[in-house]
Amino acid sequence: MDKQTDFVLRTIEERSVKFVRLWFTDVAGTLKSVAIAPAEVEGAFSEGLGFDGSAIEGLARTYEADMLAMPDPSTFQILPWRGEIDPTARMFCDIQTPDGQPAAADPRNVLRRALSKASDMGFTFYIHPEIEFYLLKSSQLNEDGEPVPVDKAGYFDNVPGGTAHDFRRRAVQMLEQLGISVEFSHHEGGPGQNEIDLRYADALTMADNIMSFRTVIKEVAIEQGVYATFMPKPFTQHPGSGMHTHMSLFEGDTNAFFDASGQYHLSKTARQFMAGVLRHAPEITAVTNQYVNSYKRLWGGGEAPSFVCWGHNNRSALLRVPLYKPEKGNSSRIEYRAIDSAANPYLAYALILSAGLKGIEEGYELPAETEDNVWNLTDSERRAMGIQPLPQSLDHAIRKLEESELAAEVLGEEVFSYVLANKRREWSEYRSQVTPFELHQNLETL
Amino acid sequence: MAGLGLSELARYGFVDLEGTVPKLDQLVKAIGDSGRSALAELGLAANPDQALNALLDLAEIDRSTVKKLLSKTESAARMVRTFGASSAMVDLTRRRPELLTVFEPKESALPGLLELRKRFEVALGQTKGNVEERWVAIRLVYRRELLRLIAFDVTQPEAVDTFSVVSQQLSDLATEAMEAGLQVARWELTNTTDHGNFTSSEVAATKLAVIAMGKCGARELNYISDVDVIYVADTGSVELQRERALEIATRLATRMMRAMDGTAPEPMLWQVDPNLRPEGKSGALVRTVDSHIAYYERWAQNWEFQALLKARFAAGDAEIAEDYLTRIRPLVWSATAREGFVEAAQKMRERVMEHIPENEVNRQIKLGPGGLRDIEFTVQLLQLVHGRTDETVRVSDTISAISSLANGSYMSRSDAEVFFNHYKFLRTIEHRIQFSQMRRTHLMPEVESQVRGISRGLNVRWNSEQLLTKWNEVKLEVRSLHQKVFYRPLLSAVAKLGDGAGLSSEQILDRLRAIGFDDPKSASAHIEALTSGLSRRASIQKQLLPVLLEWFAKGSDPDSGLLAFRRLSEDLGESPWYLRMLRDSSGAAERMTQVLSTSKLATGLFERHPEAAAWFEDPADLKALSLAELQQEMNSIVDRHDEIEKAANSIRGIRRRETLRLAMGAVLGELTIDEISQGLSDITESYLLALKSLTDNDAIDLGIIAMGRFGGAELGFGSDADLMFVYRALESVDAQKIAERQISELRRLAADPVLEFEFDIDLRPEGKNGPIARSLESYAAYYEKWANTWEAQALLRARVIAGSDELVKAFTELIDQYRYPQEVAQSAILEIRRIKARVETERLPQGADPKRHLKLGRGSLSDVEWLVQLMQLSNGAKHPTIRTPKTLEALEACVSEGLIERHDATVLEEAWKLASRVRSAVVLWGTRRSDVLTTDRKQLDGMARILEYPRDSASALEQDYLAFTRRSRMVFERLFYGA
Repeated sequence: MDKQTDFVLRTIEERSVKFVRLWFTDVAGTLKSVAIAPAEVEGAFSEGLGFDGSAIEGLARTYEADMLAMPDPSTFQILPWRGEIDPTARMFCDIQTPDGQPAAADPRNVLRRALSKASDMGFTFYIHPEIEFYLLKSSQLNEDGEPVPVDKAGYFDNVPGGTAHDFRRRAVQMLEQLGISVEFSHHEGGPGQNEIDLRYADALTMADNIMSFRTVIKEVAIEQGVYATFMPKPFTQHPGSGMHTHMSLFEGDTNAFFDASGQYHLSKTARQFMAGVLRHAPEITAVTNQYVNSYKRLWGGGEAPSFVCWGHNNRSALLRVPLYKPEKGNSSRIEYRAIDSAANPYLAYALILSAGLKGIEEGYELPAETEDNVWNLTDSERRAMGIQPLPQSLDHAIRKLEESELAAEVLGEEVFSYVLANKRREWSEYRSQVTPFELHQNLETL
Repeated sequence: MAGLGLSELARYGFVDLEGTVPKLDQLVKAIGDSGRSALAELGLAANPDQALNALLDLAEIDRSTVKKLLSKTESAARMVRTFGASSAMVDLTRRRPELLTVFEPKESALPGLLELRKRFEVALGQTKGNVEERWVAIRLVYRRELLRLIAFDVTQPEAVDTFSVVSQQLSDLATEAMEAGLQVARWELTNTTDHGNFTSSEVAATKLAVIAMGKCGARELNYISDVDVIYVADTGSVELQRERALEIATRLATRMMRAMDGTAPEPMLWQVDPNLRPEGKSGALVRTVDSHIAYYERWAQNWEFQALLKARFAAGDAEIAEDYLTRIRPLVWSATAREGFVEAAQKMRERVMEHIPENEVNRQIKLGPGGLRDIEFTVQLLQLVHGRTDETVRVSDTISAISSLANGSYMSRSDAEVFFNHYKFLRTIEHRIQFSQMRRTHLMPEVESQVRGISRGLNVRWNSEQLLTKWNEVKLEVRSLHQKVFYRPLLSAVAKLGDGAGLSSEQILDRLRAIGFDDPKSASAHIEALTSGLSRRASIQKQLLPVLLEWFAKGSDPDSGLLAFRRLSEDLGESPWYLRMLRDSSGAAERMTQVLSTSKLATGLFERHPEAAAWFEDPADLKALSLAELQQEMNSIVDRHDEIEKAANSIRGIRRRETLRLAMGAVLGELTIDEISQGLSDITESYLLALKSLTDNDAIDLGIIAMGRFGGAELGFGSDADLMFVYRALESVDAQKIAERQISELRRLAADPVLEFEFDIDLRPEGKNGPIARSLESYAAYYEKWANTWEAQALLRARVIAGSDELVKAFTELIDQYRYPQEVAQSAILEIRRIKARVETERLPQGADPKRHLKLGRGSLSDVEWLVQLMQLSNGAKHPTIRTPKTLEALEACVSEGLIERHDATVLEEAWKLASRVRSAVVLWGTRRSDVLTTDRKQLDGMARILEYPRDSASALEQDYLAFTRRSRMVFERLFYGA
């Protein structure tokens, strides 16, 4: 278990923590929280906290409602935005069935399983995401039915005294207080759009961090009287919010992706991993890009990674091999660009990792690099080059997912069928909508 | 040497005879006459050739010392036998000839603990140099003492009697070496800045204790092995912050370990292994007492408590060690009260066994079957079970534990004696093997000459053959000892045999609970009942119960297994074959316990047919009887009995007996799913035929048509028998009425309260509203006029099993035109698809999860069957090979005819088979039929065992089922609905 337990119990005492929030994530990627009193923490460590799992989306089947949340003491942090009055802390939890087995439908457990497979192969999986989001004046829409951004700045613009600037400063400060290191933060392409890059960590920690990150961003927004959204594509005319993720596999202290003699210093392992990610990308898109709206980003043009291909510094490729620093072997990595800010990070990373591992296990061949901007190619050119598109809609993605043995195995049968059912429902609700587009196009002409 | 015959040399034990003569001459030449007298000592060495070569080598290095040593009998014996037993010691003295003086008689006494400490201190005191020199000083003291110890070991009159003294000495030597290592570490931290900047007062104020664990902790260390330790530390002064003290202690501990294993001009001693500490490799190296306690209170695993049994202060600060040990001990003993403690320990043992490489199993002295670990494990298990209430058995080393267990009457004196002797024997072999080359091994050498050395070392008159024979005897006995020592006293006490350990009734319940009986009181009562009295049965059961208890304990439900065994045994009484089976055929008895503790269906039937116990002896008896054999037996009953009721009764008995046979075969994995379904269908078929013949009359020719799964000979345990009836009038009477009367009589006779028989006639034309039998003409007229698609579909699996040949032929021809039509209208196919789509939602029970419904669920039985039936209906006319009521046979034929892809068929077949097997497993496990894959984990686990998964496979079974059916559903949707 963890030496952190002592630390947790002691800190609760010393800092007079009044509440401890136990956090876990449902299958859709929504953070769930239950608060307990400090006196209950010790019991929660040893026996877990019982709750009715059937009330949580996709977590439990109705007939086995009783679940246990087991707090992970290594994730203990005092929440910075609660201030000094009534200090509140949080811990992430693993979910168990009453007989002490990991719950099949706990996304954290799905990722743990995938990581333990990697570890059986001798690998540790490190990631670092670049999370984009929009800051809006509020969640209200204007008279045109569109959200209103807080500013009109662009990529890397410094907006002196602007909301976004203060916002990022405050957010980074809070993240650091939560033990989440920030690599970088800047204004992104769209008005009100920001990006914060988290410093690399192992995948489980990072997935936890991403869940915390979303909460922090929402909290800071409330504090500053604005509204933050991770919606993949809130504006038709502006870029969507992606979560480009840099990934690497380590064998002990060595970066398994690095090979001084390989092309772009990529090792065979890296090439096979990339081949795996590429081959399975379409079938896992329903998870990495899980909403109807996600496909508006994927197919919104610009630099969106709509096609299954890879390139070195090719900003239109799905998988990018970033600029490497020749002397830094350990910084070898690849960047997956499809995943968006609204994905369930546990499930998405479990799938991407497993796709890559499959490539290694089966020794997939990496297809040739794509040097062109794939958006500028014609359909026939792309076909000739063997470049497949990612699914064009949620519906299309569901169909790919349905046939994915990889996803079924990685997610486990329970989560797999829940995700499918959930997504089918969303698609069918969406399909029955009459959109402003149709009204605009058709109402007056027909 | 003149006059020495080669055969005499052989008698002395030399192997290289020709070469030895000149070597002896050379020795005499080098050191004179004392070389001559060495011959007698060489003859007593484990390996005389090796010893002689060593003498020659050393005579070249230090002639006078060797000469002096050889001139006295005692020193000659010490030197020559050491060299004969250990090539490592030969190498050592060649490297460090100054150590030769250890062989002198005045050096023979083994130093005590304090003396040892002094020797290390003196050596360190004389060293003024850097760290490496200090390390060398420690290692040389250690090696000198090691040489002394081996010289002592090899010159004792009885080799096996020394191991206790030797391993205590080795343990003390190790702890004192670590003490010296700590001293050097403190010197390093104070006098150098290589490992941080600490003041000497800070270092002095740091309290650090080394706690020995494992073999060193129990003072039963081997010649060479890792030394397991745990560190406890704290600040010893108000001026030193605790964090700072822990930092210093961590450095001290690390440097101490390097003193033992770091690189220096004198090679390392051994590894210090600190990985038994809280959190293992990832935990802090050094902790305070409080932090240790907090960890053990909250997080520790069972095995960690087991490891703590052997904790002992080894080096460093005695005070803090005492504090640690006083506080940790109560935790160890309260931990054993945890549920599943013993089970977990046993699982651990099994895992260890599984990890031994195949080619080493027979050479393993420690881990293999009948090895040291078996003894240690049994002893520890008994300590854990009884040490909770009895403090006298809380001792750390194996030898003391054995004697305390015997003193506490937890083990009989004679068992303790045997255990003790075998333990000594195995440890002695282990020691000899280890010090021969100073290698950390627990394997009997493969090379014959090395085995010979070991055997002569134990007893100079033994050859390698004799050693191996003796060793095998010991192994055999040790293997049975676990069962004897752990389970047998239960019985002795319960049955008041008075031949062994005298356990109190509380102690018995402890032990029974520990091995997995939920209701130890009842279990104890069963044991008493099974063994009381003076009958032959009781006395055989007394012999057998210890091992039976062990087997029951491994099953999924030991309590009901034992109860069933008691009932069975009472029913069978003194039947000689039963007693013989129990006594002589352990395989049979083990299979019996497996059935009794896994399948309620089989157990229930077993109690009514105890004679079935005989089948356990021979797997061939668990194969299904053929239809012809069944019919023959039933017909002879029909012929023999005049009274219908009596005959029917006997026939019912045969059905139960044969169902039991299949159930047993299924639980024991002797039958494939095909054999089970064919067997069950044959039983049902012969059953109906025999009962029908009891009700036959001359007025009509009644035909029975098997439908559904029965028609396809695909019955599982607990399946309904779907039936239809057709008749032909033979006399001009009211044939309809006669037929109906005969059917209701048949139904009455077939009903069986013990093993339910579901007589299902709902598939007949017009279903529940139709007449229960029809004449051939009526069927023809009905089908002509009304036959709809679903009826044609149902007929695909119709198989006429009774009636005159003429009737069978006529009916089969009649239905063939409907079930294999020349042409199927597109509308009919659409109709079938539509019905299927409707059935999927309508027939599922309210609220059922379609993924888990074994029959109507996603991708399960009915999906596969409907698909096959659709194929048959649309292609049966053109492709006669697919005309069969059997689903899998039809599927296979569809592949051959190119109607279904091989891959698709395989997916469908796998799902269909697994769903069928799971359905049967449900009934076998709990007798009650259920079409839903349960979510109850205990039941899933039980079913998984029946399906030949390993233990604890509830999730694996669930995952497999869901995956197989998901794939099959995808194929189904594509082929059936054409999606």
